Amino acid sequence: MVPFILRRLVQLIPTFLLATLVAFVIIQLAPGDFLSQLKENPRATAVQIQQLTTLYGLDRPGWQQYFQWLFNLLRGDLGLSFQYNQPVLQLIKGPALNSLILVGISVVISFAVAIPVGVYGALRPYSFGDRFSSFLAYFGLGIPSFFFALLAIYALLVTQQTTGWDMPIGGKTSGSLPADISAGRHAWDIFVHALVPSIILVLRSISSDSRVIRGQMLETMGQDYIRTARAKGLGDRQVTYKHALKIALLPIIASIGGFLPALIGGAGFVEVVFSWPGLTPMLLSAFFNNDLYVLMSTLAVSTLLYIIGNLLSDLLLAAVDPRIRYT
Amino acid sequence: MTTTPTPARPAEPRARSQSQWSVVRRQFVRNPLARFGMVILGLLYLTALLAGFLGPYGITEYSTSDRISWAPPTHIHIRDAQGQLRSPFIYGVKRVVNNETFRDEYVENKDVVCPINFLTSRETASYRFLGFIPSTFKLFGVGEGCKIYLWGSDNLGRDQFSRIMYGSQISLTIGILATVISVVLGLVFGGIAGYFGGLPDSLIMRFVEVLSAIPGLFLLITLRALFPINANPLLVFYIVVILLGVIGWGGLARVVRGQLLSARELDYVQAAQALGASDTRVVARHMLPNTATFIIISLSIAIPGYILEESGLSFIGIGIVEPYASWGSLLKLAQDGGFESLTGRPWVLIPGIFIFLAVLGWQFVGDGLRDAFDPRRRS
Repeated sequence: MVPFILRRLVQLIPTFLLATLVAFVIIQLAPGDFLSQLKENPRATAVQIQQLTTLYGLDRPGWQQYFQWLFNLLRGDLGLSFQYNQPVLQLIKGPALNSLILVGISVVISFAVAIPVGVYGALRPYSFGDRFSSFLAYFGLGIPSFFFALLAIYALLVTQQTTGWDMPIGGKTSGSLPADISAGRHAWDIFVHALVPSIILVLRSISSDSRVIRGQMLETMGQDYIRTARAKGLGDRQVTYKHALKIALLPIIASIGGFLPALIGGAGFVEVVFSWPGLTPMLLSAFFNNDLYVLMSTLAVSTLLYIIGNLLSDLLLAAVDPRIRYT
Repeated sequence: MTTTPTPARPAEPRARSQSQWSVVRRQFVRNPLARFGMVILGLLYLTALLAGFLGPYGITEYSTSDRISWAPPTHIHIRDAQGQLRSPFIYGVKRVVNNETFRDEYVENKDVVCPINFLTSRETASYRFLGFIPSTFKLFGVGEGCKIYLWGSDNLGRDQFSRIMYGSQISLTIGILATVISVVLGLVFGGIAGYFGGLPDSLIMRFVEVLSAIPGLFLLITLRALFPINANPLLVFYIVVILLGVIGWGGLARVVRGQLLSARELDYVQAAQALGASDTRVVARHMLPNTATFIIISLSIAIPGYILEESGLSFIGIGIVEPYASWGSLLKLAQDGGFESLTGRPWVLIPGIFIFLAVLGWQFVGDGLRDAFDPRRRS
């Protein structure tokens, strides 16, 4: 097990290096460097700029700068945000965590809904429920998340105005709560705020995953070993869930790795609409203020997350599928 | 590997042989969802083609003297004050301040009556019919003194209906252009990787892996940072197209490579090589046509994805910029007003319906094509 993980890690190093290199080159191509904004700031002195230039090695050739940045990155020093004048690591910690809250809730909802829907569709193909869910799946895949988010906000606002229902819209916490509330109450507050954006976020993955699971289940249910299991006299429930579903879920498990970064990246539009303080709004503000270190580091960190996610799904796959060996 | 030729059966007098394409066409037409998708897409692309004719106003047209911001959709009447039926007409609007909310509101001014003229000409709003015939003909319009806002107006008092019509041109073309770019890149790089193998193969595939390792939206934002934020609007359009195409070719390249790797060992490829065909010729003329089916399907599946991405980018303000409009940038207005404004002017949500319809239409068509090409799914 441990050698397997180690070997996978070693294989991932080139991808990570190349990805950071791409991020670095893109930023290098951008007009101006990390200090061009600071240089226009009248309060910044020439000495300060000189210090920062040497600190970040901006007076050295590009490849040396890259290795310096990479070295700093590995030590956890992601550079300085000029917009907020604080270390990038401090800056992106909060938003990254917020994005992960949305992603976490979404993943749970996605599996909780997509698996039963997919299995139901496979067990009763072309029934009314199956047709209805595939109709909904088309709907979920076709509607842009930000448009759906706006529609949801509109519906919520109208319900609020007519019934006075106190469902929070937008933001992460309600400002009206007193400061000395218990941790549990605080977590509940965040959860309530995150619920609607997560549901909207998850609509796409439910739509596609339930279709994939349905197709896989249909295919597995026709296999010989399922007939063998039935011939042995196993109950329907056991055949479906223990024998068929386990294999049908493999592609979904393999895609869990893509879940981490895709949902953080894909959470983007929903975060913007609901003014959820996640990574995308921060990145956009960095973009509009030319805050280059923030852009570059977010890119690097989310790539790292993707790679970790891939490793995770490899491990999960190996754990679930007996045909995959650790060696 | 050799295949035994199927023995020629004596042809029935009436039976006509079917080519692959006619089989596919028949299967496609028999699929109700695919037909439905084709109808939606047909209507939408027709809209884009006739945008200047359908929209009563130009894309940037607004009045500097009496600006009617956020006007609600104009009510079209067919009964006059006496209750008599007559041809459709609208009333003029006047601005009143709501004493409770202190917001401007527009009410109908029953003194001003403007009949709706069909197939009318407006000299001030000339456009090019079908893109090349100069014309001033509009499907409908109203005389001076009135403004017809079928779907309301925006903050500058521009007609949202006209802007959606023009927006369809950009939203629908970007999807296709970006797909073409990514397919070309995917074919070229996938072709090189699959045919030559070795070092070019591992380099390209590594790069594809890296491209897919960086979250798409973040990569787009970062790449967009390469270009000035307030570049020329037309340049921004091309930047968006190219960025979308450039980051999207990885998946296709991977599959093309896989197909070519297996095709490389086949007899007809070796025969072509033995005849002295150049590498380019072997790949382009003999191997890539084999992947045509796959490319057509992935085209129709990629286009809605790009339409969604473009509208998303424009929605968050890094895509299409003024004076041009796409459905995404029109929907941005809904977001910019803040939550509370939505209940006051829900018609700003209309552009989203168009994005939804376009994506849905392409999905139906894409699924229909996939089923039609797949012999196992034929009915």
